[in-house]
Amino acid sequence: MSQYLPIVVLMVLAITFGVLSFAAAKLLAPSRPSTAKSAPYECGIVPTREPPQRFPVSFYIVAMLFIMFDIEIVFLYPYAVDRGALGAYGFWAIFGFSVVFFLTFVYEVARGGLDWGPIVRDRDLTADAAMVSPERTATSTVRRVGTEGRVPENAA
Amino acid sequence: MNVVALLAADPLLDGELRWTPLLIVVLKVLVIFVLGLVGTMFMVWFERKVVAGMQNRIGPNKAGPFGILQTLADGTKLFFKEIMNPARSDPWVFRLAPFLAFVPAFLVWSVIPLGGDFTEGRDGTVTWFGQVTRVQLADPPVGILLVLAMSSIAVYGIMLAGWASGSKYPLLGSVRASAQMISYEAALGLSLAAVLLSAGTLSTAGIVAGQNSLSNWNLVATGFVPFFVFLVAVTAELNRPPFDLVEAEQELVGGFHTEYSGIPFALFYLAEFMNTITMSAIVVTLFLGGPQPITIGETTLSIGFIPGALEGTLWFVLKLLAFLYAFVWFRATLPRLRYDQLMDLGWKFMIPISLGWFLLLAAIRTGDANQWNPVVVVVSSLVLLGLGYLLFVAALRVSARNREREGAMF
Repeated sequence: MSQYLPIVVLMVLAITFGVLSFAAAKLLAPSRPSTAKSAPYECGIVPTREPPQRFPVSFYIVAMLFIMFDIEIVFLYPYAVDRGALGAYGFWAIFGFSVVFFLTFVYEVARGGLDWGPIVRDRDLTADAAMVSPERTATSTVRRVGTEGRVPENAA
Repeated sequence: MNVVALLAADPLLDGELRWTPLLIVVLKVLVIFVLGLVGTMFMVWFERKVVAGMQNRIGPNKAGPFGILQTLADGTKLFFKEIMNPARSDPWVFRLAPFLAFVPAFLVWSVIPLGGDFTEGRDGTVTWFGQVTRVQLADPPVGILLVLAMSSIAVYGIMLAGWASGSKYPLLGSVRASAQMISYEAALGLSLAAVLLSAGTLSTAGIVAGQNSLSNWNLVATGFVPFFVFLVAVTAELNRPPFDLVEAEQELVGGFHTEYSGIPFALFYLAEFMNTITMSAIVVTLFLGGPQPITIGETTLSIGFIPGALEGTLWFVLKLLAFLYAFVWFRATLPRLRYDQLMDLGWKFMIPISLGWFLLLAAIRTGDANQWNPVVVVVSSLVLLGLGYLLFVAALRVSARNREREGAMF
């Protein structure tokens, strides 16, 4: 355990630093609260609706998948560190576990658990082909107007 | 556990309580603390100056030579700024959140080997005042797990900051942030497993000691893929561009810290930049040999006149600066990802690839140890990985077809 004392000391020092900073700011900074100041910041618009209480279910699915992966990682680390002692048996155990795990992940992906945002549809560009053809240049598409009378006809 | 064992806080000291080791611990804690703060100040200045250069601006140039004291000036100013309490906030959690963000950032420093002589099989210990110790605050056996634990706690800081603000933009920002950070934490953890496979230990000093030549650097020993996955995952974990959706100014004002002002805001800012430094240091430690000099075969690129332990620090700082520059470079170069692209990159590319790569490395190593035919091992692994890839592509097709059929439009 002896190696953890320095970490605890550093933690105490960091917390002290934070607390002292707060205390210093209390002493140094002004405190003039007003209703407008303490209202939720919405770029100057007075908030009329409460912050959302419900969130898209995708976020929860991500959280649950993360727990799955964390469990996978929790099993991988001891194997990775102790691979010499565990030998071939350890490898096959991890391999079997990973295969089962991967299959569930594939199922999750196939069910659309990790799809976000709208469907991306590639637009058909053939209709626009004429608009982007190399024949269209500044000389062929821009009609020069307003130089009559200002530039002599044979000035060049 | 008795008091003596608890107080015998220095590595390699066997149980006898003396003042010297305690003083060394206090000294090291103070040095790490000051180093952390000064390093963060430097990092903020460095980022602003380099980004300014890349964008054809001058950047900070008034406070001190080359504007190097700009961060100090900004920090001092923030002490004099009002700490606001939003009306709908949860006062206690609102104050707690900055601590949850910056205390873990400090703690990561404690396991980073900052120097020491690891060349020619030496173990990186130095002797100070007659005490054998390391140029790192502590070397606990869990080592790198502490880093993962701290980066997980940092998610709480951001999540609670957004939730406790009682405002829309911070809440949206923090929900995005926590989904993003845990997604990439999975990729981070899986690519780290490949490093542990080649290191065989969790202790950071042990990981560094194992990388005693260029071909033993985990960058090479794990076959480059885990390194790139880890680097991208770290960038996302730090919420740095191009993964800074957490504080996408155009949509979320400031993200989770919209409602913070004054010193609490400064603490978040401190945490963000300190994490950039510590995570770069972790990348250097894990993949580039930390304080190890570059050794190719028998030749060591050594700086003769500097003593070994100090030379380690020099190498460490050089490698660290390369990554700090790279992070700033990312910010100046890459446009921000869209949220679905971010999630697809994390879940559908980096996680499967790092899991597959880990199994490939494990198969090759186990084959080596048990004298399996290497050709058979590699070919059958590749066939299995190919099968897995096909299965995964099929899953993506199925999900795309189902969405098309249901006409899901969000």
